[in-house]
Amino acid sequence: MSDPALPGEAGVERPYKRLSPLTPLVRSFILVVAMLATSWDDLLRGDLGPLAWLLLALLVAGAVFGAVSWARTKYWIEADELRVDTGIVSRQSRRIRVDRLQGVDIAQPFVARIFGLAELRMDVAGGGTREGSLAFVRLDEAEALREELLARRDRARAATRPGHAGADGEAPVPPRPERELARLDLPTLVVSLLLSAEAGAFLVAAVVLGVAFAVFGQFAGIAGVVPVVIGFALTQFRRLSAFYGFVVTESESGLHVRRGLFERNTQTIALARVQGVVVSEPLLWRRLGWARLDVSVAGYSAGFDGGDGKPSASTAMPVAPRPLVLALARRLLAEAGGPHPDAVALTAPPERARWVSPVGRHFMSGGVGEDLVVSREGLLTRRMHVVPHARVQSLRLHQGVWQHRLGLADLHVDSPPGPVKVRLRHRDAAEARDLLEQENALTRRARRPRDGTAPAQPSPPRVSGG
Amino acid sequence: MDDLFAPPEHAWRPVSPALARLRRLVLVGAAVVLGAVLVVLGLVLSWPVWLWLVPLLLVAAVAAWGWWLVGRNVRWWGYAEREDELYIKHGALFRTLVVVPYGRMQYVDVQAGPLEQAFKIASVHLHTASPGTSAVIPGLPAAEAARLRDRLTSLGESQAAGL
Repeated sequence: MSDPALPGEAGVERPYKRLSPLTPLVRSFILVVAMLATSWDDLLRGDLGPLAWLLLALLVAGAVFGAVSWARTKYWIEADELRVDTGIVSRQSRRIRVDRLQGVDIAQPFVARIFGLAELRMDVAGGGTREGSLAFVRLDEAEALREELLARRDRARAATRPGHAGADGEAPVPPRPERELARLDLPTLVVSLLLSAEAGAFLVAAVVLGVAFAVFGQFAGIAGVVPVVIGFALTQFRRLSAFYGFVVTESESGLHVRRGLFERNTQTIALARVQGVVVSEPLLWRRLGWARLDVSVAGYSAGFDGGDGKPSASTAMPVAPRPLVLALARRLLAEAGGPHPDAVALTAPPERARWVSPVGRHFMSGGVGEDLVVSREGLLTRRMHVVPHARVQSLRLHQGVWQHRLGLADLHVDSPPGPVKVRLRHRDAAEARDLLEQENALTRRARRPRDGTAPAQPSPPRVSGG
Repeated sequence: MDDLFAPPEHAWRPVSPALARLRRLVLVGAAVVLGAVLVVLGLVLSWPVWLWLVPLLLVAAVAAWGWWLVGRNVRWWGYAEREDELYIKHGALFRTLVVVPYGRMQYVDVQAGPLEQAFKIASVHLHTASPGTSAVIPGLPAAEAARLRDRLTSLGESQAAGL
């Protein structure tokens, strides 16, 4: 905006900023501590052995390197680009165009958190890898920089699309303060972890061992149990630390997820990039009416998990009462008008599907609604996959040899990489084709308004319900 | 069953019969090499006749089945260009119908290996943002492949919908 539009030539005085001077220390904190710990006694006694001298020399060399590296790293915003100059011997200049930004996350690794520092991670279009990273800056600086980058991005995008101000397609909305949508309390998280599938398996194993004890009078294989217990405790603790203090807030740039006990992460989910959601209900949670919410975000494929409860970047809520999870899901689907996933009428596969899926078919259902296509399946963990019509990539029908005999077919809805996979399995063949054509017409209509110029196409007949 | 894979509007456009010729050539080539190896082994190591004749017959039988299957498979490939999306169906045993909206295409590939070039055919791959989209049309005459690619690319641009 008010920046000089000059290209960043050498010699031009620029309002650049530096990283936190503590950066080298944070980066090599573990190393420094280890070195001091190993040669502490020698240092105190004042007589240094050859190893201690070597370590000390390394430490000094590292400190000098770190200081020079810090001094030569500068960043600034200019002409709608974030520019980062680094390098001691060979200089690097990285430019990140703000209109290419998918999202900006703030991560606080444990050591950085002690010093009140944070890392800014920029998600750039055209790749799952995080290209840009600024480490480390003060947390408040990081937050301010993120807000500025996102605001500049929205302005840059609005400017290239005249008549379409941002994703809302309306006049610029006055800035809203960040609003809290959901907060996960510790007791709920702990209980949910104790009621996980592993805990169930654990209980079964304990019962088996108990019975073995009662029958044989001795614990068979007790030695094998110890590592299992430790492993279980470690996994659950990792989840606890990843999901600790999970808070979902809402602001103009989207939904923000903050989480973590030691390492604090802030993630922004841009609503325009939400591809779909999954509501999971593990068997042991159903009595309590709890569910988990995962979300597919375009360009954010890295680190999603198969829904087996591991901490991951795709989690929008690790555990919450189902109504709250659905309310969050509707927030995430705001671009599609915030429809209610439960309002979509679901139908089950026909009776004859028992020949291909004797048990599973009882838990399968799916349907095409006004704004969403939804499928449910799962015996132990019931999962509801939801994709808005406007986010469908392609549609597929599959028919295997047995399905062909029985006149059944599967309908798959393709989404970008992520946890969401809508599939209506073992449907009656004619119905499957009908659903495909219905869904196709709906996705076509849902894509249209985004093209901007020609919304006056003859719209296909409106289809609703399953 | 044919309702399931009925063409969207008119008829399916078939792929080139040259694709069947190419695949059969590869199939027969592999069978002949395998058969030759068996016969040579049998003669050199002076195996009893049945020890190489039975596998040889098996190879011949599998090749014959493959011959028939290739024909069926190639006849089953088909595509149809609609106003807003491309329909592709394929697979004789495991049947698939894919619908790819032009606005969702990220890029279009045309590939032709040395054998395909000799038969003057090429395959067209459509890619969307989803890795699940398996939209391939093999065995198009080279000119038709180029035409389809250009048409798909221009339609993709004019109808492009953001992610």
